[in-house]
Amino acid sequence: MSRSFRWLVAAAVMVVFHPLLAAPGQVQFSDTKLANGLRVIISEDHNAPVFSLTVTYNVGSRDERPGRTGFAHLFEHMMFKGSEQVGPGEHFTLIFDNGGDMNGTTNVERTLYYETLPANQLDLALFLEADRMWSLDITKENLDNQRNAVQEERRLGVDNQPYGKTFEAVDRLAYRNPAYKHSVIGSMEDLNAASVDDVKGFFRTYYAPNNAVLAVVGDVKTADCLAKIRKYFDRIPSQPAPPKVDETEPPQTQEQRLTIDDALARLPRIDIVYHTPPALAPDDDGLTVLAGVLSSGRSSRFYESIVRQQQLSANVSASSTGNRGPGLFRVAATVLSGKSVEDLEKAIYAEIEKVKNGPIADWEIEKTRNNYRRTMVNNTATSLSRAVSLSRYALFWNDPNLINTYADRIGAVKAAEVQRVAKKYLVPENRTVVITMPKAASHD
Amino acid sequence: MTKRHLVSGLAAFAAAGMIGAAQQAPPAPAQPASKAVVIKGRAPVSNEILKVTLPRPHEADLPNGAHLMVLEDHRVPQIVFQIVIGGAGGYVDPADSPGLASITATMMREGTSAKNTAQISEQLERLASTVTVATGLASLDATISGSTLTENFGETFKLAADLLLNPTFPDEELQRYKQRTRSGLVQQRANAGFLASEMFSRVIYSTHPASRVSLTLPVLDKVTRAQLVDFHHARYVPDHAIIAISGDITMAAARSAIDSALGTWKKGNTPAATAQDPPPLGVPRIYFVARPGSVQTNIIVGTQAIDRLAPDYDRVQVMNEVIGAGPTGRLFVILREEKGYTYGAYSGLTATRFRGNWSANTEVRTEVTDDALRDLLAEVKRLRDEPVPDKELQDKKRGLISRFALSLESPQTVLQNHVSLRTYKLPVDYWDKYPERVSAVTQADVQAAAKKYLDPSRLQIVIVGDPKIGDLLKKYGTVETYDVDGKRIGG
Repeated sequence: MSRSFRWLVAAAVMVVFHPLLAAPGQVQFSDTKLANGLRVIISEDHNAPVFSLTVTYNVGSRDERPGRTGFAHLFEHMMFKGSEQVGPGEHFTLIFDNGGDMNGTTNVERTLYYETLPANQLDLALFLEADRMWSLDITKENLDNQRNAVQEERRLGVDNQPYGKTFEAVDRLAYRNPAYKHSVIGSMEDLNAASVDDVKGFFRTYYAPNNAVLAVVGDVKTADCLAKIRKYFDRIPSQPAPPKVDETEPPQTQEQRLTIDDALARLPRIDIVYHTPPALAPDDDGLTVLAGVLSSGRSSRFYESIVRQQQLSANVSASSTGNRGPGLFRVAATVLSGKSVEDLEKAIYAEIEKVKNGPIADWEIEKTRNNYRRTMVNNTATSLSRAVSLSRYALFWNDPNLINTYADRIGAVKAAEVQRVAKKYLVPENRTVVITMPKAASHD
Repeated sequence: MTKRHLVSGLAAFAAAGMIGAAQQAPPAPAQPASKAVVIKGRAPVSNEILKVTLPRPHEADLPNGAHLMVLEDHRVPQIVFQIVIGGAGGYVDPADSPGLASITATMMREGTSAKNTAQISEQLERLASTVTVATGLASLDATISGSTLTENFGETFKLAADLLLNPTFPDEELQRYKQRTRSGLVQQRANAGFLASEMFSRVIYSTHPASRVSLTLPVLDKVTRAQLVDFHHARYVPDHAIIAISGDITMAAARSAIDSALGTWKKGNTPAATAQDPPPLGVPRIYFVARPGSVQTNIIVGTQAIDRLAPDYDRVQVMNEVIGAGPTGRLFVILREEKGYTYGAYSGLTATRFRGNWSANTEVRTEVTDDALRDLLAEVKRLRDEPVPDKELQDKKRGLISRFALSLESPQTVLQNHVSLRTYKLPVDYWDKYPERVSAVTQADVQAAAKKYLDPSRLQIVIVGDPKIGDLLKKYGTVETYDVDGKRIGG
């Protein structure tokens, strides 16, 4: 089958440069919207003859309808099975055989595809991404094949791993909102139910230029790169906006608790989660610093007290949310041999109470501030990490310049704010506790 | 404007069919021998291979015998450093205490004459710097690695030097470390991948240090503070050390940091450690670890191969590229993209200062264990029996050579390439001639390498999975069965 390229001169195009961001260490970029709604971010870096391209679609597991959990990720696999001008498997073959790297990744909030290549292969990367945004080659055979691969991915990451099912149990119990209740990998049953029609409908709705951000970072010239992007992407029509995701979560009023058995685990584990606002909501900065104070590194409260002094666990982690929708502040720990899960749980709560009511030292705040400065540096250190960060900030919060400003936000958080959010969110009625107990597998 | 549409299934089958037909007519446009990958050939590919020049570090020999390598890269305000201490790695462990070097390295950050472990953590983390001391259980070297924002380099490097020169190995912290580590040793046995790699290393390397993949409880239980002190004193000498620093730094700044922090690190006059090859492989066997509750089977097929300086190195590397180094390798294309047995199937080559291994691995659902093992072995056989089609070989070589450009994004990787030149005493123009050497590898070279190294009489098979698959393995050879704790329970 053949089709000629139609070249379209973009009518209404908005280009925003950030010339004021020339301070040392600041990332400079252009931010353009094509006529079809595709947002394009370009950031030059000529230190190595390499570029990275990311296409981030505004679709994740939260967009899945009931009975189709795991579909966004299964769909991601289908994006490598061919499009109008590209054969099944040709995409990754061309990238790797020309010295590049590529992959796709799906989470709750988005689906991201990337290519990193030597600088002379910009046309190749743009052609491949444009062709599969334009058309997708969907067959039952390809779908069945990737369904198998994804089911093996689930077995590898979940069903054959100790604590694999714990992650699913935590979210299922903690959330009421179905968009956030299920795992990204989905259930075997729902994966089996996915049909070619589902793939077609999903493609039409979500894989539209107005639902994506394209970022190119590296050894490219902005004007030349933008012209090429227009050449490949302008013909792809926009689509009606996808349905909005319900981002509400009713307040939790009493503690929820569950104990599960795990035939593959050898030691008990405890997971404690608290409902929080979305990432980058006003209270999230304090919660992010709180996670750092509690668990970042060996100088953290959890490590020094629970791991080193009390020797109840080998590691206790804490993290704030990355969700645009309802968040969870997560604490997780495995019990050390011979110690009790009850003692570990009590010790975790005791440390949380100490943060709420006792002093927080200046160095603990300084530590988190410096950590985020380093994170910002790392976000700009490779073309891929820079492209991923710019796209995420653009897609989620309509502000790619957060790549330059986010660390300052975290740096401005004071100890009193950390205590305020700890008192507000880390309370018993707001928590969900899942305990995973080892259970000997039956021999058959 | 054209409406976007979905290419119909019929058209896709037609395209695949045409490629299939073309393949039968000589000379075939070389496709991977699978309909899972169809090259339409319409994408714009630049055929030029970018000529890249590897930046060179500044180098200097220091009076205490250490060698300094500095690679400047000022694009981000960050500095990464390594102090590689030859002869302080797990390879030199006493026979009755395998893991002593590893425990010594880990314990070096648990206290110095100036600071206790909590103060060390606090200082590092306040600066958002990292410093770790580590070694592999069969590595010749131990390495102190650090990373820091430029402005904190002085303080961070001083702390690293303190860990290197003045560790006190407090007994209280050693007991805590033992307690934490014991749980990890228990926990890792729940992981099928760990059990597979543990068995594989044991089978390939028997009594050689490379057979160890983990500390063991008996060694952990009996190791004493005095042993750590002695090991550190004898082994952490500068005589064969390399100090490698990359990032936002100059040679002069590096020299001055070293002079001030490591001025007291004196020559030990110890000979360089040398490595021996592992004993020859035993007869081929199937080593089956019966893991109740498994829903997948982990498969590793492998053998002893070559060391890093073997004349065959480039040829074996290209061979590995063809069969399974990445997603365009035959294993991935056949076992995943065509058959759907698995999420991934790859092969790998480990070549260091002693004879290492080549291995292929995959994880498949229990029901297709037999099919997957059969198909994997068939791919190994095909590599021996048939020359690689020229197009496939050219694609793989181009990928290997072009990929070099990507490493230039990371100053650490660039410097690591230079460190390996020195470690392996390779010629200074080694990387400059790399494209030339890889290009020169022929179809016959790849087939000869496969015949030599992947002979069935040398292939060992390790399987971890549900106890019920034990019987079906018997048709592949003699099966030895083990439980998840490594005890032989049958066969």
